[in-house]
Formats: sequence, C-alpha cells, structure tokens
Amino acid sequence: MTEKAYEVAHLDELDRFPVDEEGLVWRPVRRRLGIRAFGTNAYTAEKAGDRVVEEHLERDGHEELYLVANGRATFTLGDDEIDAPEGTLVYATPGTKRGAVAVEPETTIVAFGAKPGVPHEISGWEGIFVAHGHLKNGEEEQGRQAMAAALAERPNDWQGQYNAACFESLTGNKEAAIAHLQRAIELDPKAREFAEKDSDFDWLRADSEFPA
Amino acid sequence: MSGTAKITDLAIPLGSGPRWAMVRAHFGIGAFGVNAYVADEPGVAVIGEHDELGNLSGRHEELYFVSAGHATFTVEGDEIDAPAGTFVFVRDPAAKRGAIATEAGTTIVIAGGKPGEAFTPSAWERSAPALNYFATQDYDKAIEEFERLRAEAPDDPGLLYNLACAESLGGRTADALAHLSRAVELDPDFRRLAEKDSDFDPIRSEPEFASAVAGEPGADGSGA
Repeated sequence: MTEKAYEVAHLDELDRFPVDEEGLVWRPVRRRLGIRAFGTNAYTAEKAGDRVVEEHLERDGHEELYLVANGRATFTLGDDEIDAPEGTLVYATPGTKRGAVAVEPETTIVAFGAKPGVPHEISGWEGIFVAHGHLKNGEEEQGRQAMAAALAERPNDWQGQYNAACFESLTGNKEAAIAHLQRAIELDPKAREFAEKDSDFDWLRADSEFPA
Repeated sequence: MSGTAKITDLAIPLGSGPRWAMVRAHFGIGAFGVNAYVADEPGVAVIGEHDELGNLSGRHEELYFVSAGHATFTVEGDEIDAPAGTFVFVRDPAAKRGAIATEAGTTIVIAGGKPGEAFTPSAWERSAPALNYFATQDYDKAIEEFERLRAEAPDDPGLLYNLACAESLGGRTADALAHLSRAVELDPDFRRLAEKDSDFDPIRSEPEFASAVAGEPGADGSGA
C-alpha cells in the first residue's frame, strides 16, 4: 500500500485529550497526520485561566516554537511574562522554563519541536498521553488499546510500564497494575520513588503485594 | 536565545507576492524549518506552486498551517478549501503544491524537515538575508551577501541564480549574464524560471541573454 501524498485536518477535528487538573487539553497533530521529521501538537484551554502550555523545560534538548493560533495567552518565558495575542510566536531554547495560561476561552496554541543536529525521534509520551486521554474522556477500552500499542512499541521503557501500571490502578485492576509497576521498577528503580508518592496508587498502597 | 515575535511584524515584502516572515532565521532555530507567508490581498499566491525536489529544495515533508484568513490549496491537482485552523501536510516531496489566499491577511505557517535526517536549512533559505535586500532595492548589499555564501558553495545553482537576479537589478549586466548562464548549466530547471522572472527584465533585451538562458558557457564572453 502506498502512502497518500498529503493529509488535511482542521483544528476542530483533532482529538481532545485532557492532560492535567489545570485544564490543559492535548490535540495530537503529528500522530493524526503522520509527520515524522519533527514534532507538532496543539493545545487548547477551554476557559480563560486554564493552562495551555505546561510549565516545563525540554530536558531532552528539543527546541520549541509556539504559535498562538486562537485566542490570547500569557506566556512565562524564563523570568519574563509575555502577553501573546493570536499570531504571536514564542521560541524557547531547551534550557528555558516556559509555560502559558489562557486569557480567553478556547485559546489554542500550536507547538513545533525537535532536537538540533539529530534525526527526529518520535516522543514516547505520545502513545501514553493518548491512552490516559481516552481514560479521562471515559473511553476505557480505547485507552486500553492505545496503552497496549504504546507498550508494544517500547516494551523496555520504564515510563511506559509505569504509566500502564497507573492506567490499570485507575481502572481497578490490581494484579495488572502491580505487574506493570514491578516491571517498571526492574527497568529503573526510580519508578519505586515515583510510585511511593503517586495518588494513582492510593487505593493499592496498603496491599502487601504493592512493590513501593 | 529564547524570544517572541508577531508574524505580521516579521513579514517583509517579496515583490508583488506575499510577505515573508523568516521565522527560523529570526529565532536561529536549528532543529526544523519554519517560515510564514502573509497575503495582504485576496488572490495572492500565498504559497507559490512548487515541489520539494529541486536543487533549492530540501526534499522535506512539509506542514502548512493556515493561522489566519482563508486559502485554497492545490495539492497534486486536488483543490482543498482551507479556512483558518486548517493543517495541510504534504509528505511526498514530489507532490506539487500551492495556495491562493481568498481573504486579505491570510497567513500560512510552514514547518518542514526530512524524516530520518538531522535538519539542515534548504539552500534557498540560506539566501534569506540577501533576499531581504531586494525589498529595499539595496542590490549591492545583496550581491555582497550572495558572494559570501558562494565562497562556501561555489556551484550552488540556486545561489548563482539569485546572485544573477541581484546583478541584473543592480545594473551589473555582464556578471548577471555569466552567473545566470552558469546556474542554468548546473540546473536546467532555472531556464524556465528565468524566462518569466521579472528580475531579468533589465537584461532581457541583451543579445547574450538567449544564450545565457540556454546555459551556454561564456555567454558574456568571459567563460566565468
């Protein structure tokens, strides 16, 4: 089968996957269109005051460019606060702390990113975010399928196993949750430290088989 | 260095075409290609028809995002209505693509790269600082900038072509003919471009122009 020469999608057609408790909603673009040479995604805040770019550094060395596609946001870039209406570009080097909060409802930001000097590698977090996004949207079965696909792509990635453990814990599957968490700890013992404080495991923590 | 800018503030005129915002060069982005074009009037070819196979191209996959206004794309002969918020991703470098603005202020952001390879800027984009001087008709400075680039890539046909454009507009007829001839010799695709390119209007009636466009060495008698 040959790939189509091109793909078309509108922002309104992209999935909406909730990411955190601050209102950040991830809209996958790269996955939807099959882009391989660089990363790109959109993020929407449904209400003013919701987060539209997570506050973070790019520890894996990605340069990132953000475009305010709809609405208006207040960016934090290093120590600066930036008013960013529609049409504003914000560029962040990997070591610069950045984040943004929506000033208007339905503010949407399109982000582009990659690491200079090396071929682009698709981020492992995408599949995990899809799985948890489906779960937050009440689509457990679709989430489970997405998690299985993410684990199949990177079976020895401790973060994947850890997130699978969270998924199983949140859906009440004790044995599967413990098995994935044990595997995550085998792959990287720091999974234990995360699990000790992660509220996703609160109901399991007192269980004698819980490994953290 | 991290920073911020508005697309409309970055966009500079490009003759009768759209305004061009050199986003990647402005921020010094090294990991992927990114630029934007702004059409101030409907009917402007906000993305000129092209593919990603030519010598000036990076054989990139390209993502076009309509960030404002409304455009009609044509990709591989298919017409695509593209209001603000539309993504058009062209993965095949051989696919012909272009877009016409249907509203004033139509803005398209383009990101690109080649899968499986570290990003390097396309040859045409390395010419961006020199092309800036076309807008202010400062052709001497454009020539100086192209010559600096040519020291790194003496046989880059795109650079030679653009250099010839600047020389033609700057009144350096003999140099323009020599460099156009060499560009066409290295890449015959430039023949078709040169025949219609208004940058060569000042030298089009020169007797040597026809042989220069034919890519014949020594079109100006110098053999340069």
